[in-house]
Order: sequence, then structure tokens, then C-alpha cells
Amino acid sequence: MDEISSYYIDVSEVRKRLTEEGANYDKPLPSRTTITAPFWDGLKRHQFLIQKCKNCEKFIWYPRAWCIYCGCRELDWVPSSRRGRIYSFVVIRQVVENTPSWSNEIPFVVAELDMEEGIRVYARVRKSNDGKINQIQINAKANIVFDDISPDVTLFSLEVEA
Amino acid sequence: MQALSPIQFLKYPFTKRIELIMMELKEKVAIVGYGETPVSRNKTERGELVLNTEQYIAWAADLALKSAGMELSDIDGQGLAVARPIAPHPVIWGPQVAEDLGITSRFTIVADNGGASGALMLMQATLAINAGLVDTVLCVGGDAQLTFDQELTASELTRSNSATKRTTGLLGLNRDLIRPVGLMGPTSMFAFVQRQHMSKYGTKLEQLGKIAVTQRYHATLNPNAIFKQPITIEDYLNSRLIADPIRLLDCVMPLNGGLAFIVTQAEKVKKFTDKPVYMLGYGQCDNYYHGSKGQPDVTYTGFSDASPRAFQMAGVNHSDVDFFQPYDDYCIAVLMALEDVGFCKKGEGGKFVERTDLRFDGELPLNTGGGQISAGQPGLPSGMLNLVEGIRQLRGEGGRRQVKEARIGVVTGLGGLQYAKNVASSITLILGN
Repeated sequence: MDEISSYYIDVSEVRKRLTEEGANYDKPLPSRTTITAPFWDGLKRHQFLIQKCKNCEKFIWYPRAWCIYCGCRELDWVPSSRRGRIYSFVVIRQVVENTPSWSNEIPFVVAELDMEEGIRVYARVRKSNDGKINQIQINAKANIVFDDISPDVTLFSLEVEA
Repeated sequence: MQALSPIQFLKYPFTKRIELIMMELKEKVAIVGYGETPVSRNKTERGELVLNTEQYIAWAADLALKSAGMELSDIDGQGLAVARPIAPHPVIWGPQVAEDLGITSRFTIVADNGGASGALMLMQATLAINAGLVDTVLCVGGDAQLTFDQELTASELTRSNSATKRTTGLLGLNRDLIRPVGLMGPTSMFAFVQRQHMSKYGTKLEQLGKIAVTQRYHATLNPNAIFKQPITIEDYLNSRLIADPIRLLDCVMPLNGGLAFIVTQAEKVKKFTDKPVYMLGYGQCDNYYHGSKGQPDVTYTGFSDASPRAFQMAGVNHSDVDFFQPYDDYCIAVLMALEDVGFCKKGEGGKFVERTDLRFDGELPLNTGGGQISAGQPGLPSGMLNLVEGIRQLRGEGGRRQVKEARIGVVTGLGGLQYAKNVASSITLILGN
């Protein structure tokens, strides 16, 4: 995929590749765009890359075309700490406006993670080994973790510290 | 009021200038008519109406013209404001609607801030008339979000109606960073805000339930409302959790429908109505953030920024307000609006709701038509529902739910939910008669 890393890739192509590799992932897949390609590639290397402004050195999320603090268009991609605290969370109990395949995960938790770098990220919370929803609380410490769907596709989720 | 030269105007302090602007705008324009079509869930098996967006637009425009005692010729060659719908529509929309209606427009505006579109169109119409570009502006929003044009090919339908197109966000945010993590539309996005509000201020479900119960009571008095059965607090607490803590009775029902209002020059008002409605105050704030930009406090919305300006323009106090028609996508949004518009302090919304009679004949009449939660949400321009109810009340046409001696009312428009934040577009409107 590297030779076309700066091009937009359609989800249907990714799904085709997933099926060819024998992976079985039935949830919505993200697409790589000209801005976000480095982020999705970083996930494959188990890095959660975020933009850092060359000028004011602030961190930016979601990926933007310029620094939302000072307007500088020169942004680096740097590995984040992956660490943060839960700002808020929702327990999903019904599938709405998304694919029906989520119903086999319900109930599950999606959190807003306030990361050390001063950004806020949506991420699904990994269920604990017994399959139950973590008894998570606001302000709990949590870390971004990586989900290898296939050799080609890695997504991210959240693990709450015990 | 005597016209000031720019130099004279700029000599006034900012606060006085705002008053002068609004007096000028108020004297120049008024709302002279409105229209609200019946809504539909598009279920043919129940004998419900199946119409497309163009039909709802024409129907709403027709009702507004009749309400104003106007003919097509009164809006032909004038101005047109249109709200974008969820239903598929051309990229060039405003001029297309003019052509669909068979009118020439000399000032065309499209509002695309969702539920705040109605409020934005009112200001745009006011500015255009005040500037002398046109005398009259038809403001209309129709949306057959549940109906699809039979002639579109299957792939055109899929592309235009896919969830990727339905929300805000550059770079396919919804497609890449929202849907894949398991979020379920605006309900799940607002659920973060409710949980934070409850955690930070101790807001209780019973307090939110009172909002749902009161608005449902108002809906029973509104022949246009989609829900006609009253509910109790127990019904609210027991209603099914969708995105915990948000439950079914917090949510709107998406419907097809159309709404419109007509704004015209003050000199012409008496020709069309003896019940003009004026915009007294306006404040807007899009993409507000409270605290840090990266990690804002989401219990504050843009209404906290917009409302002081609106009240300042109008020169009124909260105690002067006769009713409140806040955009109500969820009960928590209404509770937060009470705080952010300034009826009570931040964090005290729950207690305010508990101690205040919010019925149409009480201390602060709230969403007297039932709001969208009980009357239904006619598509993307649905903020016009709360706005039209405000106009209706000020004209004394509220029927069984008429607020006695309604003189001044506050309406809000709310559009879109932003990634890990809250409201995208917030507008506070103060209307009077």
C-alpha cells in the first residue's frame, strides 16, 4: 500500500483486500485520505501519530489542513504517548445510523479520551476478558491500543487501566 | 429614526451601536406570514402522505403566502432564502428552488447550518431588505428525508443518502473517525455531553424527564404533532436506552415536512397583516469552545456566547420573556439551553426545571407546540418548527396552547454536532410583536 500512500483509497478496495487475506471484519472501515494517510499507516506500525505544529508546537486532532491554534500549514506527524484520561463515555445499547453488524457487540462503550497532548479522541473501549463492559468511570486512566484486523489494516481502540 | 453618517455611527460605543443597528433593522422589516405543513412518516401502508422535497417546499410557501394574504406575484422578483435538506438535492440549490417555484429572485441565500437555518435565514432576509436589495423575502425549508425520488438510479441513491454525507466534518470525519469506532449518529454524540453534565453538576434524569413530559403535554394540544399520547416521568425513566444515558423519550422522530415564513418591508406590513412579528435580537456563535480548544468543557454551548448579544440588542431582560422555544434535539439540549441562554446559572438547569412551571400557562412556557421531541422533526431545517411556533404565539394563533399576552419570546436554532465537542451552530433569536 505504500506506493499509493498519498492517494485516497476507497473502502471497497480495502474490503476486497481483507477478504482476499481471509480476514473477517464486518464493521465500517475508514478510508485513507491525502491528509490522514500517514495516520492510518502509523497504526500499522503500532504508532498513534498526531499532528504537531512546526510553529507553535501544539498538537492537533482530528487531522487538519492547518494548525487550529496559529494557522501554520506546516504540521509534523509525531508519535503520541497514547495515554490519557476518560473525559466522558457512552454505553451503546442500540444500533442507529450504522451497520447492523454492531448488534453482536452490544452493549459496548465508546469513550472520549483526553490525551496528555491536549487532544480529545473518540475510541471504542475494549471489553475485558470476560466480555463484560468495563466499569469505567470519568477520569479513569486509559491508553490507545491497536487492533490488527489484517496484515494491511490496523485500527485503534482503548484499554482502561485497572 | 434619523439616518446617521458612518462617522457619527462609529462615535457611539459598541453597546449603543448594537442597539442602534437593531432598532434600524426592527423598524425596517417584519414577519408577515408563516406556514407549517402537516408532517408524514412516509408509510404508505398507513395511508400517510408520500411527497418529495419540492412538494413540501411549495406547500409550505403556499401556506405562508395565504397566512400573509399574499399572492405569488408578491414574492416574484423579490428575495428567496432556502434551507438545505437531508434529502438529495442539487449542489446549486437556491436558484433551483426559485425555478421550481417559477419565481425570479434578486437575492438568493441558502442556509446550511441544519436546525439553525431558519434563524439564519431570518437575519439574512432582514439584512437584504434593510439594505434595500429587495422588499420581501420568502424563507422556506422543506425536507422529504424519508422519501426518495423514484427516478434516481440505485447507485445515485446510495451515494447521496449514505451516512457519509449526513454529518458535518471535513475529510470524511463521519466515515473515518466516527462510524468505525461504533458511534451511532448524533444521539451517541450528545450522550457524552449529557453524561458529563450529570457528572459535573448532578443533573438528574427526573429533571430531564420533566422536560419530556411537559413538551408531550403541549403536543397533545397541537393538532400537527406526531405524538398525541401524554407521558409520565415513569414512562420517561423506563423508556429504552439508546446511547446510555440518552433514552428513546429524549429523541426526536425524523419526519418529512415543510416550513416557511415571509419577511417584508415595514412600509408594506400593514397591507398584509395587523399582526407583524419583529426580530428584536440576534446572536450567533458557530464552533464555540469553552476553555481549551483541544479539550473544551462541553457543558457550555455556543448559546452562552450568542445570547448576551441577543438580549443586549433587544434591550430586554429574561423576566420580560413570555415564552421559550429552544431547538430540542434532546432533553439535555433544552436543559443546557435554559442555562446558556441565561434563564439560570450554568449547572443549575436541573433545579430550574424542577422549580419552574414550564407549561404554556406557567411561568416560562417551554416549546409550546411540543417541540421536535413530541411534535416530530421535519428534516434538516427542523429548527423552523420551534421558530414558527414562536411566530404563531406572537400572532395570537396558538389555539389551545396560546400563551396569554405573548409579547416577547426567545427561539433558538441549533445545527450539527461536532467531533468530540457539542453544537456546531448556535443562534439565539428574540422576537416580539
